[in-house]
Amino acid sequence: MRIGFSEELAQLEASLQEEGDLVLRALRAALNALAHGDEELADEVIRFDDEVDQRYMAIETGVQSLLARQTPVAVDLRLVLAVLRINLHLERMADYCVTVAKLTKLMGDLGVSDDRISRSIEDMGQRAEQMIRVALDAFANRDPERAETLVELDELIDVANRNATEDVLSLGDSAEEREYGLRMLVVSRCVERIGDHAVDIGEQIVYLVTGEFREFSDASNPA
Amino acid sequence: MEAYIRHEQQMPETTTAEQDVVFDIDALQVDYGKTTAVKDVTLQIREHAITALIGPSGCGKSTVLRCLNRMNDLVPSARIGGKIHYHGVDLYGADVDPIEVRRRIGMVFQRPNPFPKSIHDNVAYGLRILGMKDDLDGRVERALRDAALWDEVKDRLKRSALSLSGGQQQRLCIARAIAVQPDVILLDEPASALDPISTSAIEDLMHELKRDYTLVIVTHNMQQAARVAEMTAFFSLEDGCGTLIEYDVTDRIFTQPSDERTEGYVTGRFG
Repeated sequence: MRIGFSEELAQLEASLQEEGDLVLRALRAALNALAHGDEELADEVIRFDDEVDQRYMAIETGVQSLLARQTPVAVDLRLVLAVLRINLHLERMADYCVTVAKLTKLMGDLGVSDDRISRSIEDMGQRAEQMIRVALDAFANRDPERAETLVELDELIDVANRNATEDVLSLGDSAEEREYGLRMLVVSRCVERIGDHAVDIGEQIVYLVTGEFREFSDASNPA
Repeated sequence: MEAYIRHEQQMPETTTAEQDVVFDIDALQVDYGKTTAVKDVTLQIREHAITALIGPSGCGKSTVLRCLNRMNDLVPSARIGGKIHYHGVDLYGADVDPIEVRRRIGMVFQRPNPFPKSIHDNVAYGLRILGMKDDLDGRVERALRDAALWDEVKDRLKRSALSLSGGQQQRLCIARAIAVQPDVILLDEPASALDPISTSAIEDLMHELKRDYTLVIVTHNMQQAARVAEMTAFFSLEDGCGTLIEYDVTDRIFTQPSDERTEGYVTGRFG
């Protein structure tokens, strides 16, 4: 039965879910800071990344220890490897939240805003939050079908990200407006990348359940 | 604002470094006649943890284990140097009763060695000798439960212990050891004569037992040490004499040992 090993595995997985919760908090705070130009909250998001990093390191160390001491095989091995990879995806998501927070601070003095772009970013952000929740739930429930729904959710974010370019181009020509537009494009790109990482987590869930590693969509040969 | 994003941070589990020291071994040396089996062993064994002693044959790990409950007293040619303090008391002090030492510090051996008596009497034996006769059946049941054997034997307590399988016999020996309420259990290769399923049962049992006892295990099976122990001591034979090479938390021994001899052994490159 290997009680100690099972407990360690369960703790690692629980820790990963908690890291996912931290990322959701960071994303929501980053989006709120952006929406309200709240630099204080943006600073908080930047500092908060240390907590995500600590959790990331703890999981990384836990996985290393488990591999060295417990020689996991079969589904246990796949779970440990999936945890290792998902951990990295979650940490990268949190890094994108930090980038959004930093951009929020840089845009503070521009005196420019655009409702259409703001609404679009908020909409993308909400979809990204939904994707993170779906990914974490599908992982907890070992549900590869739910994991595959992430592809459709991601497509909506991708479309919004592509539209952002047109929105930015329709802004005015002043230096402030151009700077605002460029920075908001990067924000849009960050949120879009968070969605991509959620899809990657979905692929890990399919790997965990089926043992088969495949990309949901082939970026070099899109359908 | 801060409350929006902050949360209760979960702290990692307490590390073994904060637990109390059960054995403080200082410059231990053991000679059998003119041969030095081990020398200059200095390490501390902590409470409610599993400490593994690993290393190739002849490296002195079992010798060190046997010093912890004065089993070497029974070897006429054995001579012990250095100090072992048990909860601060000199284990080899003149006023220390070796029988009491062995009640507090029980031992389980490589080969299951039940007495040719009933299952019940195997566990009750030590209790009777030590005069712990009140609620004898209750004590026997608790020991068998703690050794994860009760459900398998409760309907045949009067049958011979020799009718049990090897794995069950070993758990019976553990039950016999814990019946007299020891503080420490020493295990000398407790699973090396058992099949993989029985081995797994013993390892699970050790995991349960460490809540109530301090365990020290000698094992040839490096992976077993890696699986069960919080602390690991690696011994090797240096110039014909058993030597403690490295003692650290098990994680570190198996991920980043500081001595290249340890690295060579755990990676299977030598030893």
